[in-house]
Amino acid sequence: MAFQILLNIGIAIIWMFFRNDFSGLEFFLGYVVGIILLFALRRFLVFDFYMRRVYAIVKLILLFNYKLVLSNIDVIKIVLSPKLDIEPGIIAVPTALKTEWEVTLLASLISLTPGTLSMDFSEDGKTIYVHSIHVPDKEEAIKEIHDSFERAILEVTK
Amino acid sequence: MKTNFLLLHTITRIVTFIILSFSIFLFFAGHNNPGGGFIGGLMTAAALLLLYISFDMKTIKVVLPFDYSKIIAVGLLIAIGTGLNSLFHGDAFLTQYFDYFDVPVLGEIELTTALPFDLGVYLVVVAVALLTIITIAEDDA
Repeated sequence: MAFQILLNIGIAIIWMFFRNDFSGLEFFLGYVVGIILLFALRRFLVFDFYMRRVYAIVKLILLFNYKLVLSNIDVIKIVLSPKLDIEPGIIAVPTALKTEWEVTLLASLISLTPGTLSMDFSEDGKTIYVHSIHVPDKEEAIKEIHDSFERAILEVTK
Repeated sequence: MKTNFLLLHTITRIVTFIILSFSIFLFFAGHNNPGGGFIGGLMTAAALLLLYISFDMKTIKVVLPFDYSKIIAVGLLIAIGTGLNSLFHGDAFLTQYFDYFDVPVLGEIELTTALPFDLGVYLVVVAVALLTIITIAEDDA
């Protein structure tokens, strides 16, 4: 992946030499040309086309913002309701993520969305203990984390 | 003895991208400088041919899964389409139009209908060159 970015920057610099114009705009144009070329020959590359990861990162950010709004609304509902009708609980969420970096990212995303808070990790770092303000169904809460954040992170790093 | 094309393969991986970016530069330079669809297309075909030469046919078939005869047809259709476009506007066949546009990032650029025509030429040249060479290469008889 680093090689592709390097190659893309190289193409952008070569493009500036072709055009004999060393400005940021020409670098940008050359970079776009490089992206197009890398995309056209993506099956030729040893690794995956790296813009796919950039796309996955953008998708992860959008998903996080969406979840943030949704869970904020949920928490507002709980706070403003006159009766305290909640079932707080701690759930153990097993994760398929491998590197420490990925697990950290997942735990931070869980903490940043209101209503859920990652408290601790298991010894091997494969399970996150999540405190949730309202968990009527344990299985569903685990499944939701798997379907949303974990899958999006996997898409970025695999 | 089985030869190992390590150096050739590694260099090809990088050089192909440089040649391809040069061919795209030539394609867009065509209006005010030397270049254009024909030379750009030939250069692209040369870069892709380098792939065919340094790797084997099967590998590159996976990389470039294009039907070149269809690309020829698409290129010709684009060229004819730009010609017909001027007929719809009440001018003679292949009359070209140009205007200046303000594009957000690029600033003011001149867009002409000669460019899609050139794109048609480009596609036909790339496809014809590669189709000719690959057909000859695949002929075992």
